[in-house]
Parts: sequence; C-alpha cells; structure tokens
Amino acid sequence: MKIMIDAREVMAYPGETILEVCRRENIFIPTLCYHPAFKGQGACRMCMVEIIDSSGQKRLVASCTYPVSDGLKVITSSEKIKKTRKTLAMLIAGRSQASPFAQEIAEEYKVKPLFFKGFENEKCILCRLCINACEEMGSAVLAAVSRGVDKRIETPYAEGAEECIGCKACAEICPTGAIEVKEENGQRIIWHKTFDLIKCANCGKEFATPEQIKFIEDKTGRKMEKFLCEGCRKRQTAEVIKEFSV
Amino acid sequence: MKEKMKIESSVNKVMVCCGTGCTANGARQVLAAFMDKLRDNPNFEVVPVLKATGCNGWCEKGPIVKIMPQDISYCHVKAEDVDEIIDRTLLKGEPVKRLLYRDPVKKEFVTSIHQTDFYRKQHKIALRNIGEIDPGSIDDYIERGGYKALKKVLKEMTPDEVIEEILKSGLRGRGGGGFPTGLKWQACKNTPRFPKYIICNGDEGDPGAFMDRSVMEGDPHTIIEGMLICAYVLKAERGFIYVRDEYDLAVKYLRQAILDAREHGFLGENILKSDLRFDIELVRGGGAFVCGEETALIKSIEGYPGEPHDKYVFPTEKGLWGQPTVINNVETWANIPVIILDGAEKFASLGTVGSPGTKVFSLVGKVVNTGLVEVPMGITLREIIYDIGGGVPEGRQFKAVQTGGPSGGCIPASHLDLKVDFDTLTREGSMMGSGGIIVMDDTTCMVEVARYYTNFLAGESCGKCTPCREGIRALVEILTRICKGEGELSDLQLLRDISEVMQEASLCALGRTAPNPVLSTLRFFEDEYIAHIVEKRCPAGVCPALTTFYIDPELCTGCTLCKRNCPVDAIKGEAKKKHEIIEDKCIRCGECYRRCRFKAVKVR
Repeated sequence: MKIMIDAREVMAYPGETILEVCRRENIFIPTLCYHPAFKGQGACRMCMVEIIDSSGQKRLVASCTYPVSDGLKVITSSEKIKKTRKTLAMLIAGRSQASPFAQEIAEEYKVKPLFFKGFENEKCILCRLCINACEEMGSAVLAAVSRGVDKRIETPYAEGAEECIGCKACAEICPTGAIEVKEENGQRIIWHKTFDLIKCANCGKEFATPEQIKFIEDKTGRKMEKFLCEGCRKRQTAEVIKEFSV
Repeated sequence: MKEKMKIESSVNKVMVCCGTGCTANGARQVLAAFMDKLRDNPNFEVVPVLKATGCNGWCEKGPIVKIMPQDISYCHVKAEDVDEIIDRTLLKGEPVKRLLYRDPVKKEFVTSIHQTDFYRKQHKIALRNIGEIDPGSIDDYIERGGYKALKKVLKEMTPDEVIEEILKSGLRGRGGGGFPTGLKWQACKNTPRFPKYIICNGDEGDPGAFMDRSVMEGDPHTIIEGMLICAYVLKAERGFIYVRDEYDLAVKYLRQAILDAREHGFLGENILKSDLRFDIELVRGGGAFVCGEETALIKSIEGYPGEPHDKYVFPTEKGLWGQPTVINNVETWANIPVIILDGAEKFASLGTVGSPGTKVFSLVGKVVNTGLVEVPMGITLREIIYDIGGGVPEGRQFKAVQTGGPSGGCIPASHLDLKVDFDTLTREGSMMGSGGIIVMDDTTCMVEVARYYTNFLAGESCGKCTPCREGIRALVEILTRICKGEGELSDLQLLRDISEVMQEASLCALGRTAPNPVLSTLRFFEDEYIAHIVEKRCPAGVCPALTTFYIDPELCTGCTLCKRNCPVDAIKGEAKKKHEIIEDKCIRCGECYRRCRFKAVKVR
C-alpha cells in the first residue's frame, strides 16, 4: 500500500506501524521506549506524530503503535508535535535528574527541566525496555510494579527472584544505566540476587552465570561443550567460516 | 389460578431497602425485626410477604420501607418502629404519620415516595426493577417481565434486526465514552473471527459514584439478559462480568443470579430450546481505578497488570485474548432488554437527539437529597440539583458542581442551565463520565479541589505513559505549592501547557481527561488561583497556610458553639459575650467557620 508521510509518497506493508515505515525511509522520529527487537509500547509518547483523517481533522497518535492503512496521511513535524516533545522532555528530565541521558534530552529540546522533589538520584525514565528484554531474553521476572506516580521497575516483592538468571540483558539495554550491576570477586550482584560467574575457557573473562548457561541449554536443547565469551565465540565462528571458504 | 393471583395482589408486601446506604443505617436490623414479628403472627390471615430489595436511590432518607399495594413509604425506619408499622399499617391499613416524608416547602406529609420531588422528575429504565424486587430472586425478575426480551429476540428477531433496533434507539455507552452501542455490536459482528467474547464492565471506581453498584446489587438479571441478547447477535459463547473487588454484595447477588439463570436454562446449552449457548464468568477486579478503562480491564482479565494500550485497533476487532470483543458498562446492559421489549422509538423519544434515553446519576456532596437518580438526558443541572436534590443545605451558597468523576470538570453557578448530555458537558470542559455529580458549596476552595482530584489520579493512573504519569506529578506539585502560598503567576501558564500535552498525548482516556479538574477550575475560578498566588489568601478558608479566621463582633451572639467545637481551645469568650480567636493557637481547621449559625466567623 501507499501512504503519505510529510507530503511524500512511500510504500508500506500491512501490519507495519508508522514508525517502522519511517525508520525504513530514514525519516527521523525520536523515541525512548522503542527498540526494533520488540513491539511498540506507546509508553514514552516521544514518537507522537499527526495524522489527517478523511474529514481533514488532525490528531496526534503514537507512531510506534499506529498501524498503517492505505492512503494514510502522516505529518512528522509541526508546532503541536514540537510542543508535545518539548513538554515531555521537560518532564522526563525533571524526573530522571541523575541521568545524563535524560538531561541531554532537555538540552536538545532547549527546555528547563521541571525538577521534581525527591528525584535527585533517579536515573530510570521508565521506558520499560528492560521488561521487554527480560521477557524475550530471560525469564520474565521484571515488571512495572505499583501504580501512578509510584510506578517503578522491580522483581516480584522487590526480592531476588528464583527465576532470575542474572543475564543482565536488562542492564545492557537500559539507556540510562539505571539498573545496578556489581561484578567483583567472581560474582555478579543484580536485582537483589548474587550469582557466580563463569570464566571464558579461552580468554578467562568472566562472562556468564551458571543459571544463564543452563537457561540457554534448556531453551536450545543443546549442551555447551566449551564456555566461550561473546568475543571468543565470534572469533571461533570466524575461524570455522574461514576454513570452509578456503 | 386466577383466584391465587387475586389473593397475591391483595396481600401486603413489605419491601425493606437493603441497598448499601440503607444497610449502613441499619436496614438489616429492620428486616430482621419484620421477619421475627411477622413469622407465625396469629393476627394475620395471610402473612404479608417480606422482601429485601436493592437501592431505592434516596439514601439520604434510609432505611426506607415500602408497603404495597397501598404504596406507603417510610423513611429513617428503625427496628423499634416495626411494631407500630405492623399494628397500624399492615393490620389497620393506616399510615404511621411520623415516619412519612414531610415536604420541606409545603410542610405536608407525602404517603408515596413516588410523589416526592425527589422521584417526580425521574424516569426509570435502567433502575426500573431496583427497589421493587428481591435481587436474590429470579422469580421476582421474571414476574416483572424479565427474560421476555431474550425470548423475543430468539423467536422473532434476526441478529441484524437486533442491531438495527439498538442503532435506532441511539443508545450510547453509559460508562463515559458515549460510543453508540449499536455500532460497537455491528463492528464486532462484522469481524469474521471466532470465538467472540462479551464483557460487562462493572469496575466502577469514581469516588462517590454508585450507579453500577446499585444495578449489580439490585437487579443482577437485567445485566445477564442484556449480555444474552448480545451473545445471540454475535454468536458468542463466553461472557465475563468484571466487578470491582470492593463490591461484596454485588458479587454475592451476581453469583447467585448466574447460578439461578443456569438452573432456569437461561445460561448454558440450548438456551430456551434454541441454538444459543452462552455462559458467564464473574471476575473480581484487583482494586485499580484504571481497570475501568476497557483495554486495561481486558489485560486484567487476561491476568496481566491493568495497563491500557493504544486503541488504534478497537476491542471489537482485537480484544480479549486478541479476539473480537464487545465490552459495555453495567448501565448500558441494563437498558438493552427495555429497548428490545418497548421498542427503539419509545427509548429514543426520551432524552435529546444526540443522547437519547435516560442516565443514572449519583448525586452527592453539599446537596439536601443525596442519592441515586435516573433522569432523561437533556435535563439541566439546575433541575437535578435544585428540583430533585433540594438544593444546597444549611443556607450555604452553591459554588460549583463536578460531573463525571475525578477527571470531570467543575461547572459554576452561571452554567447551571446546561443540558446534561454527552456532548454538552464535554464541550464545557467537563464530562458525563459514568454519572457522578458532586455538589460543592461556598466553603469549598476550588484550587484545593483541583489538587485533591489530581492527587487522587496520581495514585490511580497506571503510570505507563509519560504525559499522564509525569504530567500528573507536575500538576500535583504545582497545585500543592499554590495551596501553600508558594505559587507564582507563571505557574498558571505552566499548568495550562502541561495539561494541554496530557490531553493530546496521553495513552488512554484517564490521562487525556486527567487535567479536566485543573483546566475547568482555571477557566471558571481563575480569581481564586490569583488570590492564592498574589494576595496569599484562600477565599474559601480551606488552605491552612493561607487562611486567617476572625469573629465579627457585630454578628457574634456569644452562643459558645464555636468555642465548644474548637479542637485546640483557640477561641476565648464567655457565654453571651463576644468571642475571639487566638491566632497563635488556631490550626485553621475551619470548624468554627462551618459551625457558626450567625455567619460571624469570617475568613480574612
């Protein structure tokens, strides 16, 4: 199907969102809670764009969740969109006061953050990418708990969760470094739980937890013969490919 | 058979209102006293029938006891009054005067509750059976024409004809959205995927609202019948009634109603010997206000946290477990059987063109007759508050009325002639919501009202999207500092800017309507905001940091009422002599201000 983005005709496919089409067409839309590996969440609302319906009425929609339809007309930049993003930047930077990432957003949009009381040490912007990562990569122990202004990311009952495998996929996807991970003396402490670390058989770098290895083995149904870190595994694969291509 | 009917209609019926309000005031004890004293009473040839009914709506006057067929209603009945009622009314047929309602203007006793001002302007459709039947008895419901509409659609109507009828009636969703019910059903029917699901939204969460509660507690079968009619249209086989967890009595009666309906063949396989098969499960909510939002409610039934998601694809296409789903509010369901039986024209003849039919409102706050009222749409706020509600009590001045729950707006006296319907209220910056009406008098600070409701929403937003979560946080912080006298004039623009973005960018209706209390008070009561910010004064005498009370010596009679009620002994003065407030001791609670009968206590 064809849709119009900023008076430009582009191709789109059923099931795509406006944001997905824009990314493919190199049309910039800012996002905080979007990651191409996951479904759009519609949580941060930075990706709001305007659409024009058949009667000529304009309205704001979240481009990361709005499904395209034939003939859809989209505007990705307007005064209203700018004002929305500016206000959101002011609020996000006001909340996540300890996050340089969040402060940069405010600078970028040239707004003075509305600093909230009691948030001096806050880094999290509640983009919820960690929850998605935990669901997809780990064992779905993270959730956005509580309600309203008290919403936060936690494990059940704010305790070390039995199912947590310590893979730290959550910490790696976090844009603000809000998830605390401590690694020392061969151990990793994350989400109220301490894990042993396994060393890479090749380079000796501590890279994974036994729970994580078991989780992967159970999921893939294959026993790992040699524990290799990501870098060494890549190198090994490259060697194999080289051998074959000779 | 005819003989038996005759006896039955002449037999006295004693109907004790056991709605939540009356129960709280001792209706169960009254019921027990009747039960005790009527059982094996040798004075009766035929012992009167005793019924515990749902809410009559006039909670202010409860417990209410109605005697039929004479149609005598008693107010504020206590267990001690039961002997006299039995002796004089049931045996001798005369009313007990002191228990009758006395018209405050005409000073006359009114025998039938239906002749009071409170009831005269009402028109009951959704509440038609409530107060007339025992909600625990399916026979009572059937006796009043229950399940006839279901029989009618099964025997005489095609699914498309049913949709046509609902469309013609113009019925719009009573939960607040106001979406045309017929269109919703049609969209779901046109989605060619099965299974389809039907949900009743009974997660009523607005503070001070009890419309849906009253229907669920007082007439549970009407909901089941409405859902069955929809099930026939959609060929759905499973339905869910999602009830707010705190509604114990509603859960009890709904559970009973579902069991009875199954037993009578209204739920299950081959309903009324047709191909229809349908069953209903009861789901208790988890206590979150936001679960009244339909996508959050659906998530909650699925077992996830109650967080809404963007509704660019409607539940009629992708709802519960991704399947086509019709979700309607309790009151909407209660209207369906009546539309089918009495016809769409009759329903559409009530109310306004854009909003036909009636609407149930819970009328609370600073109003004489608090309670539950069902009125034709298009009635003015003035009629509801003054004619039905009896106005503001204790000679206080009306100040504002808030409609539509915590995210509704405050409407001032100058707009009291507004017609109450979906579109008018929205245009004026408030909303119909599910039908809460809260009346406020001149002792209410509008800035504090805005702060209060926004603060309620701060705890009840789901917290998923930025504009709602952080926007509400910002509004509360700004409003709190204004109430403390630390606000600046630039705060007003900031409130407006943040509100505007919340309205446009929030994910669900909760966030989009959350700024209503702020925006409507800013629009109609901006002078109060300015008094707080510039003059550092709270004109209503509510915000402690900005209030100073004093006693006008001209008006003080030395009655000592204020002195006796002051919790901190901050008032000095002897009886029949002028009193004085000791400012250092005063905690600005306003007790003296509200108590004084001579308006001698003033706000500086």
